[in-house]
Amino acid sequence: LLQHYFLSLVSRSVGHFPRQHYDVIVVGGGHAGTEAAAAAARLGAETLLITQKIHTIGALSCNPSLGGVGKGHLVREVDALDGLCGRAGDWAGISFSILNRRKGPAVWGPRAQLDRQRYREFMQSELLSTPRLTVMEGSVEELLVTDPNPEQPGQHRVNGICLGGHPISASSVVLTTGTFLSGSLFIGQTTSPGGRIGDAPSSAGLSHTLRERLGLKVGRLRTGTPPRIVKDSVDLSLATLNPPDSSPTPFSFMNTHTRCRPEEQLPCYLTYTTPGVERVVRESLHLNCHIQQDAKGPRYCPSIESRVLRFPGRRHQVWLEPEGLTSDLLYPQGLSMTMPPDVQLRLIREIPPLHKAEIHMPGYGVQYDFVCPTQLSPSLQVKSTQGLFLAGQINGTTGYEEAAAQGLWAGVNAGRRALSKPPVALSRTESYIGVLIDDLVSRGVTEPYRMFTSRAEFRTSLRPDNADLRLTLKGFELGCVSSSRHQKAVRVKNSLQDALAALQALSLSTTSWKRKIPDVHVSEANSNMLSGIEMLQYKDVSFQVLASIFPEVLLPFMEFSQRLKIEAVYRPHCESNKREIQRIQEEENMSLPEDIDYLSLPVSLSQEVREVLHRARPSTLGAATRLEGITPAAVVNLFNYVCFAEKRKKTSTRSSFSQQSKW
Amino acid sequence: ILVIKCCLFQGGLADADTIFALSSGYGRCGVAVVRVSGPASATALRSMAGHRLPPPRTALLRSITDPLSGEMLDRGLVLWFPAPHSFTGEDSVEFHIHGGPAVITAVLQALGSVPGTRPAEAGEFTRRAFQAGKLDLTEVEGLGDLIHAETEAQRRQALRQMSGELGHIYRDWSHKLKRCLAHIEAFIDFSEDELIEDGVLDQADRSVCDLQSQIEQHLRDERRGERLRSGVHVVIAGATNAGKSSLLNTLCQRPAAIVSPIAGTTRDIVETAVDIGGFPVLLSDTAGLRESADLVEQEGVRRARERVQQADLTLLVVDSTCLPSDVQRAAGFLSEHLRNMCLLVLNKSDLLPETQRQKLKMELRGVSGLPAVCLLSCQTNEGLKDFLTVLQSSVKTLCGDPLAGAPTLTQARHRAHLQQCVAALSQFQRYRDSDLALAAEGVRLALTSLGRITGRVGAEEILDIIFKDFCIGK
Repeated sequence: LLQHYFLSLVSRSVGHFPRQHYDVIVVGGGHAGTEAAAAAARLGAETLLITQKIHTIGALSCNPSLGGVGKGHLVREVDALDGLCGRAGDWAGISFSILNRRKGPAVWGPRAQLDRQRYREFMQSELLSTPRLTVMEGSVEELLVTDPNPEQPGQHRVNGICLGGHPISASSVVLTTGTFLSGSLFIGQTTSPGGRIGDAPSSAGLSHTLRERLGLKVGRLRTGTPPRIVKDSVDLSLATLNPPDSSPTPFSFMNTHTRCRPEEQLPCYLTYTTPGVERVVRESLHLNCHIQQDAKGPRYCPSIESRVLRFPGRRHQVWLEPEGLTSDLLYPQGLSMTMPPDVQLRLIREIPPLHKAEIHMPGYGVQYDFVCPTQLSPSLQVKSTQGLFLAGQINGTTGYEEAAAQGLWAGVNAGRRALSKPPVALSRTESYIGVLIDDLVSRGVTEPYRMFTSRAEFRTSLRPDNADLRLTLKGFELGCVSSSRHQKAVRVKNSLQDALAALQALSLSTTSWKRKIPDVHVSEANSNMLSGIEMLQYKDVSFQVLASIFPEVLLPFMEFSQRLKIEAVYRPHCESNKREIQRIQEEENMSLPEDIDYLSLPVSLSQEVREVLHRARPSTLGAATRLEGITPAAVVNLFNYVCFAEKRKKTSTRSSFSQQSKW
Repeated sequence: ILVIKCCLFQGGLADADTIFALSSGYGRCGVAVVRVSGPASATALRSMAGHRLPPPRTALLRSITDPLSGEMLDRGLVLWFPAPHSFTGEDSVEFHIHGGPAVITAVLQALGSVPGTRPAEAGEFTRRAFQAGKLDLTEVEGLGDLIHAETEAQRRQALRQMSGELGHIYRDWSHKLKRCLAHIEAFIDFSEDELIEDGVLDQADRSVCDLQSQIEQHLRDERRGERLRSGVHVVIAGATNAGKSSLLNTLCQRPAAIVSPIAGTTRDIVETAVDIGGFPVLLSDTAGLRESADLVEQEGVRRARERVQQADLTLLVVDSTCLPSDVQRAAGFLSEHLRNMCLLVLNKSDLLPETQRQKLKMELRGVSGLPAVCLLSCQTNEGLKDFLTVLQSSVKTLCGDPLAGAPTLTQARHRAHLQQCVAALSQFQRYRDSDLALAAEGVRLALTSLGRITGRVGAEEILDIIFKDFCIGK
């Protein structure tokens, strides 16, 4: 029945004759494209999403899972901005766990195994029912490039796309081509063009336009995916069972529970490689052309080949993950490989539970072009090209969550541009999305970029639990958050504030607290008064305990007990971050004009520094300070140059002050 | 007034404090320049160098006095730079004074007692000049940077002045700490579904502990550089009438303190700066230690004891004629008066018979547990030369040999950063078991503090170590 429902939606959408003009066109229906299209439409932009096949929208090309440490933070933030992937994860998840549970709430990693089918269903139904969003099948051949608007910086302007020989114009175009840009697939010694097995390669015209017409610098990266294994052929009794959390925690702030019931969840299994695996890799190296290429692969998600070559003589982890509630396949996480299919079979059979395993589809490698992201502004628009936005793997990242985060933000800015609003940026002091985008646009990438919590300077403030407080209100102002979500966030914010104020007001002497909570060791050094917040900072004091002592004041806030505990513990650390955050925000607010010519700037700058600035074109002074090779003096000079006009104004104010002071 | 302030500080960056600092280099030099900037500059100038402000930007020779005691500190040039025509764009004052450490310390202390003033932080003058748009671009290179005044500029300055050896130690710590952090971060970002070897955290644990105690150790014995800068505090103490004031006068070669045969002549502390073998010494004469019914003298004794507590070195003066004649008992008697860092001065040696003198000299030298003992007479200057040699070598030990250890002008800031570093490392210990994110935050802060001396550490650098040390793969 569901299938029928979806098909009817699809056909309705496809049957819709495309208009000649849209506000925003999104090319690609992966994790970046879906979020971009949905965000632009939420903003009020008339949006067109073009994808090769509607039924692959929301396909999980690689691992059947979402979230994790750092990545889970991104999912929570995308959700806080009313994006799709958090709710999709709650709908499609079949095995939920919070990683790092014992390492502190700031680094908790919400994660779920997904049912591939359900994830696609959710994404397709969501997109096809989004107002102002049209979804169309097709392969974009060309970008329409025209002269720039002279009032804005940039040498070119993209004002539409060419589809099946027909031009469709748009104020903004978001490219989310993933691994399809000049993509090549590798298995053993065979190579074929494409970005994913089973899908047609994208048009050569697109990458030609980006490179030749728009003059964008591109690089090449590689990635890979493991073979899919027939579940019935695996002896799971030889692997270690790894159960999910007994009570699933939803990704979305809007959900109180997941679709999958706790008892329906499926476990993962852990096993290890053997020396035989290493032997097979070594014996087949000459048959493996992907591994011999020099395009950069990810260091943290390496193929089994590079793992055994770089760290020989060890056993490596392999996770056997379910692909869905009804799927008869298993996904062997950690066994990404590109050797010929018969060797792949030999290799996996060296691992005990896989002794008799059958391969449903072999693993393969992909090499693809990415556009060096330092050519983008923090709004993810190409600096040299008005109206062209890029998001996802095309910017050199890896991972669904990284793609979704960029997609959402590119969609917001593409929509704003179409609606004649100025671009907006997220600060790295307020979100992981900000960290991600700032790292990309100001530092660039040398390998596929993945999010880690260690990349965030203000990790103790940017927690998964408070993503709504950090982003939902701001998102509502930008127009990408629904009013129901906004109302909920406001209620949460006010309740937390009230609860913290109530806790602060509970001020008792150490002795009184000891009498009330005898089993907690209150430090003698604190001989003075302690507030409820300070008590909550003790490891063994929960909000529930305090609420049982002061029910009339605290019981109304019981639904926030976990968040309040976290807020209390982290509060002093977040306070001490504030000054540094402010400094960075001030620097980020000093924007450098996009059309500045660093090579001829009449300022004392070394040639080396000029070239760094010319290449990177930082959009703010803050971004400039983080560039490699920029001296402090150069930053000062830049600052002086940029503030010149303003400085003049200040000087005149100051001389009027000196007259006053004489008086 | 509020409106005026708003106009001046519309940048939102400047604050209303008046700051002061020695602007010329530390160490002994002919002329030292002390700079003051901020709204209280005029007050400071008036209270220290006469009530009438000099004409703007004109050097005038004035007596510079302590605003509280009125004591003259030095004679030197003063300059008045009313806003906005000053380096910082604020009201500013410069004192050009004699370059001796004692004079400089006295003037800085005097400035600190003017309401509304505080010592400047590193780079703060530059920062203010910068905010006022005053900075000459050609100067910038040497003056450092607004944005990273707290990190880059300080680091460079510090590094330049840091001797190779000290720099090496700091870099080594920084390197070790980076590895610790990388391992902890790896444990946070990867351990659960991506294999990280067991024991990573325990190893980081041990390294952090180890580093913390090393830095603490370093902090304990490394005030030498600061002493060289601000002067060794040497206190003369002892019973009444032992000849403490005579010793002071002898050492500073002028009658700085009143000397009389009456016990309890010195009531308050008499301070004077002297040069002992090229090292700055702040010498204090104190009231003789005895029980007294006189309230003034009681207070004097209290101050004397307090000063002894704070001293770097105590000269314990004993009237040698009061010593028990038996040398063993004399040694026991002297031991009772000992403090950690002290020299024993047996004064009035001229009143002892020659045989007793020789016996004391010979036998006290052999007694273990006694510090250096000097027999001298302030009356005849007999034994003074030997005493000066001993004193000089003690002071030298306290300051460290500037040629070997090379303490730097940024030493105090190094100390502050190292102290922050140690405090941050204890945050790691505190949260190690309950919240690894907060524990790691401690190590991050420690590394930032250390980075203010050795250089900034970015996330990429940490990740590089992670990937080099661990096989990570999903």
